[in-house]
Amino acid sequence: MDSLNEQFGRIYDQYIEKIYRFVFLKVDSQETAEDITSKVFMKGWEAFKNQNADIKNPGAFLYQIARNSVVDHYREKGRAKVVSADFSPEIADPKASAHDRAILNADINVIKKAVQGLKKDYQDIIIWHYLDDMPIADIAKLLDKPAGTVRVMLHRGLKDLKNMVEES
Amino acid sequence: MSKITQKQLIEQIRGLKEIKPRQEWVSLLKSEILNTKPETNPKFSNFEFRISNFFFGLKTKKSFAYSFATLVFVIVGLVGFAQYTMPGDLLFPVRKISEQSQAALSGQTGLKQNVATLNSRINDLAQAAKQGKKNNIPSAISEVNTQVSELAKDLKNNPVTDLETLKEIAASLKTLADVPGTDLSANSDVKDLYQTIVESQIADLEKTTLTDGQKDILTEAKELYGQGKYIDSLEKILTINK
Repeated sequence: MDSLNEQFGRIYDQYIEKIYRFVFLKVDSQETAEDITSKVFMKGWEAFKNQNADIKNPGAFLYQIARNSVVDHYREKGRAKVVSADFSPEIADPKASAHDRAILNADINVIKKAVQGLKKDYQDIIIWHYLDDMPIADIAKLLDKPAGTVRVMLHRGLKDLKNMVEES
Repeated sequence: MSKITQKQLIEQIRGLKEIKPRQEWVSLLKSEILNTKPETNPKFSNFEFRISNFFFGLKTKKSFAYSFATLVFVIVGLVGFAQYTMPGDLLFPVRKISEQSQAALSGQTGLKQNVATLNSRINDLAQAAKQGKKNNIPSAISEVNTQVSELAKDLKNNPVTDLETLKEIAASLKTLADVPGTDLSANSDVKDLYQTIVESQIADLEKTTLTDGQKDILTEAKELYGQGKYIDSLEKILTINK
């Protein structure tokens, strides 16, 4: 049987990029995203050990910690949720030309800024469904809402996002 | 930005998948998290954990002890079995190492060790000849030649006056001369060794008070020595020493 380290190591490998991206889209810098993501996995590891690996849905568990951590972050800073996409790091494919990278970065920054302007629940649903390929049923469980409600929220979130992108 | 379709919007959202953490940070964080503390099962208290560790350690030590005991058993068996080998056998080198180790442990000096080894090799040759082990005889002769050469060199470099040692060497050479079908007199080292031993024995006997009969035998031995018949001379001398 695998050790707790090995089990959590696999969970880490599976979710580190997703959790980082989830956090990064909600905060204003790479440094903050790394800081919060570190705390998420630290807390996750502690809980994993304390519950002797008895966590039925590690992904949902980590996302829940991430959501709370982002809330705590803004609460600690005592500020409103004002984010700036100007601090975003280079995220385009390094193999692309400088011109292509600039365009891609610009597109990503526009959509990133728009996502950050959405209501928190809409943000989460859009990120989970379109970036993490999470099925509606799983999102419903995660948010403890009916699947139909999640579909409606996703539809409204997309509509709001579309408006924001078109207005930018 | 101009109007976009929902499909284009979703494609743009999916473009955010390009957001990835720095790989070095990912690796560093993983090692920091998983190596922060040695892994323990949280269901165990410290005391229980120590107990379980103790038994695990015991189990590990036990399996190691079994492996070690098996290894020792195999080595002892191998060395024991090697004592019955002869030159030319597969395990004969093991026996040689074992003999050298025993000689070193018993504190034998270089010359005494060489004499003991020569005796052993001569016995091997005698046994091989007696039992008709034709395959072993060439190797046994080679071993004796090697050992005689070693001893001859040793005696040349460090002349020995110890009568007991010389008698022992003389007895060994007599035994060698008696082994049927193994004439080593052509070997210059063997010849030198015989000469050295006979010379020293004659010199020693000349200083000793002898009976008339012994004096006659010594005279004969000296004559044989003068003729280069060292083995015959040695045989005569050994009759005086009896």
